[in-house]
Amino acid sequence: MKYFKFLIIPVILIATVLISCERDDICPDATPTTPSLIIDLYDASNPDNKKNVFDLVVIGFEDDEFLDNPVPEYVFTDTNNLILPLKTTENTTEYILIEGAETNDNGTPDDPSDDSIDGNYDKIIINYSREQVYVSRACGFKTIFKNVTLTIEDVNNDGIWMLSRQPLTDNQSVEDETTTHFNISH
Amino acid sequence: MSVNSQNDSIVTTANDSTKIKLKYGLRVGGDIGKLIRTSLDDDYTGFEIMADYRLKEKIYVAAEIGIEEKNTITDYLNITTQGSYIKGGIDYNMYQNWLNMDNMIYSGFRFAASNFNHDLNSFTVYNQDQYWGQQLISNNKQEFTGLTAFWAEIILGMKAEILNNLYFGLNLQLKIAVNESVSNNFENVYIPGFGKTYDSGRIGAGYSYFIAYRIPLYKKAK
Repeated sequence: MKYFKFLIIPVILIATVLISCERDDICPDATPTTPSLIIDLYDASNPDNKKNVFDLVVIGFEDDEFLDNPVPEYVFTDTNNLILPLKTTENTTEYILIEGAETNDNGTPDDPSDDSIDGNYDKIIINYSREQVYVSRACGFKTIFKNVTLTIEDVNNDGIWMLSRQPLTDNQSVEDETTTHFNISH
Repeated sequence: MSVNSQNDSIVTTANDSTKIKLKYGLRVGGDIGKLIRTSLDDDYTGFEIMADYRLKEKIYVAAEIGIEEKNTITDYLNITTQGSYIKGGIDYNMYQNWLNMDNMIYSGFRFAASNFNHDLNSFTVYNQDQYWGQQLISNNKQEFTGLTAFWAEIILGMKAEILNNLYFGLNLQLKIAVNESVSNNFENVYIPGFGKTYDSGRIGAGYSYFIAYRIPLYKKAK
């Protein structure tokens, strides 16, 4: 018992202080939370190969209007892989994908306010149902997406550049970001 | 023979008067730390009553019973937890008192149980990608009722006799969760008596400040 008190006092003091000071109010980036939709782009004429799309611009589309800003990752980008967030507030998310995009300065190179983007505009419409899943104290809840469907629509009557789409499984869901959810060939 | 005959000359009552008698009794107290926190913290209400009873010179049986209500509010969650708890165990006095002083620096253990409910008042979906702006907010209150938790505690504390039979004390509690109810699609972010739970494991921590009064029942020599 003589040495017991010399051990127990510092052990309890240090442990309690350490525990009380632990910060777990911040959701770590590595924690899987609400997943985004992952699309791989394949070559329509050679369906086994991925193929880049060049000068791609992706803009959200809501209530028949473009969002003010494009998705920051896809501004005149060359890529064969798309990671697009889905709306957690509604069962539909729409994006405009512009292939071969170029800035049209409308004859006034000094005035960016009337600039527009030329290129082949296609729209993708993603429909799904939503579920809220508890993650942790710091991260709260995430949304996962079930029965996800993706349709491609032409915009501006210039023909679709995304020729077909294929979900990777029947009843495709978007529950995490570990695998691709849709393939699109172009 | 000669030893006995020497002892006969010493007055035996003198021996008795130097013996120190220890008070034995039931000590009952209230947690003033929880009362202060209740008055200062809008998101907390709680009270605890404690009692201990001296078994031997250094050994006490001890118990606490309490109620707590706590709001856990983060950027993404708003939860109200409500419940009661009971703890029981042993305290061991490590402090060597002078003469008839009766203070404690003690270490002890408890086994504890809590019965509680969570109201998930609202939550906001967490999404790292904020391209679409505001995420879903759910304001449908969800109730998780009839939950239980069991844990063990190691305690380190002190009790000082500030007036005759009146004690002020404080302690630190290190808690190890043993078992708790698991809810569907939710977790126990707070357990009355245990306190805040941590994502990283089953360890918790707590403290209390209390005032207690000893009801003296009998005295016994050391």
